[in-house]
Amino acid sequence: MHLTFWGVRGSYPVPGAATVRYGGHTSCVELRSESGGCLVIDAGTGLRGLGQKLAQEARDPGGTTYNLILSHVHWDHIQGLPFFEPAYIGDTKIVVHAPRAAAKELRLVIGGITRHEFFPVALDAVPADFEFQEVTPGKAFDIDEFTVLPIGLNHPFGAVGYRVDADGSSMAYVSDTAPFDRMLHKQHFTAGVEEPNSDDLAILSEMRANLVQSLRRVDTVIYDTHFTKGEYEQFTHWGHSTPDHALEICHEAGVRQLVLYHHAPAHDDDAMDKIAEQYGVRGKRMAIAVCVAREAMTLTMGEATNPGFGV
Amino acid sequence: MKIRFWGVRGSCATPGGRYLRYGGNTTAIEVRSDSGHRILIDLGTGVTELAKELMAAEFGQGKGVLPVLLTHTHVDHIQGLPFFTPLFIRGNSIRIMGRELAGVSLKEVLQDQLNGHYSPLYGLENLAAGLEVQTLKTGASWPAEGFEVKTELAPHGSTSVVACRITADGKSVVIMTDVEHAPEGISPELTELARDCDLLVHDAMFSDSEYAQRAGWGHSSVGSAIAVAESVGARRLALFHHSPDSSDEHLDMIVGQATESSSVAVFAAQEGHDVDI
Repeated sequence: MHLTFWGVRGSYPVPGAATVRYGGHTSCVELRSESGGCLVIDAGTGLRGLGQKLAQEARDPGGTTYNLILSHVHWDHIQGLPFFEPAYIGDTKIVVHAPRAAAKELRLVIGGITRHEFFPVALDAVPADFEFQEVTPGKAFDIDEFTVLPIGLNHPFGAVGYRVDADGSSMAYVSDTAPFDRMLHKQHFTAGVEEPNSDDLAILSEMRANLVQSLRRVDTVIYDTHFTKGEYEQFTHWGHSTPDHALEICHEAGVRQLVLYHHAPAHDDDAMDKIAEQYGVRGKRMAIAVCVAREAMTLTMGEATNPGFGV
Repeated sequence: MKIRFWGVRGSCATPGGRYLRYGGNTTAIEVRSDSGHRILIDLGTGVTELAKELMAAEFGQGKGVLPVLLTHTHVDHIQGLPFFTPLFIRGNSIRIMGRELAGVSLKEVLQDQLNGHYSPLYGLENLAAGLEVQTLKTGASWPAEGFEVKTELAPHGSTSVVACRITADGKSVVIMTDVEHAPEGISPELTELARDCDLLVHDAMFSDSEYAQRAGWGHSSVGSAIAVAESVGARRLALFHHSPDSSDEHLDMIVGQATESSSVAVFAAQEGHDVDI
């Protein structure tokens, strides 16, 4: 199994000279099985470029089905969907798998970003057929040769990570999530840290144990490391982690390769270089190879030495 | 009067090395009068860059005042709103003006942009600055201290947008983005709005050959932007709302062709550039 990053950024896209090397598009990862099967994780602005590539590939056959699995529906994870070129090709099916949170219907929430006030072409009006499938943490399902396990995460309004197994190799996508000690994210606005009560702590503890269990011996883990340590202390209630949190979870789960992901918009290429160096060294001490996700970087799952992990 | 382009891109932001000179942020234009007043047109991702400048000045202390005119609420024109940091500082006075919408209020649309599914802000009420959303009738003057702001509706595919003429210091800039005029040409109202302006900022998303495939999408070709500038007697034309597929080299080529065919001085809007009016 291979994966390619099309968007590595969190919150909003960041064009400009300061993000050329690591990339400025929001979350989107392309997974490929050995036989060429494709699974897309998240639909940030990176999805536009991936969609152009997929549409070119698909010119002859027609009747193509695309599967997208979404971590959650915050803008930075869905804003590429209206620009996904296969949606404008007839005889195409697009299956979107996502957690439902409090929504009555996934179609209404995700399709809602194409209401006419937001976008000129409604999702229901495009030539492709959209189908929506609800995912539930802990309930694995198959998409062709991929086995997909949703994992509950700690993020405002709820989010899921995914473990994906195919061809005897595995990867996990853990974004977006806060760590599991300071507060439990719920479905209301928080202006600051909310002290967890005993019920919250029990939920957090179970969520964390499930995550570690689900990641056990996964070949490569992609993890939300939006913040540096100092930023996390300032924005603890925002629902994101640091590389230290990611290393701690990966260490417990016996993971050997960690990819830092969902970079804060303010982290320019030089800042990302420093993070790569610092956590490359720290990871090595824990026998975990660490690299920083870059747009257009391709990794092979299950390879002991990946060229991406170069520190 | 000066204007600065903070975002010039249409549809979707374009990070990457191919877009560095013209810029990849979606639409945002700041207009400043000589007396120091400011008005912002649209809230695309470009406003995240403007925010840094504002926060280093009075907006960081909660003493900023900013009127914002929204041409419309398609996502590329509002997606910077949740990340516009002056909105998080109590005391700043930020007022969004837009046109009346049929069936739904402007406030409801922005509220939905920030609803819990899409945003951890959960709604406009959680913006510390407090945000005033004001719907106004086009065809009338819109209030913004230090400026005279006139507006008209302009056609944008199956919907319409606000085109505006902003006057201060004896100069006028007209902003007409996300517009596709009828095949017979620009309407009399829009002609009147733009007549003899010092700078016309006009949608030019597609080259003339690209436009052939995209008629009806609600955007203009470079040729049609030039025709409008010539017919209203604009002194200068800024091509705006660049396609996300237009690289720097492609835009250089478009500007080259436009310069040859236009009797009005023409350039392509560039992110971060000040233009003296």
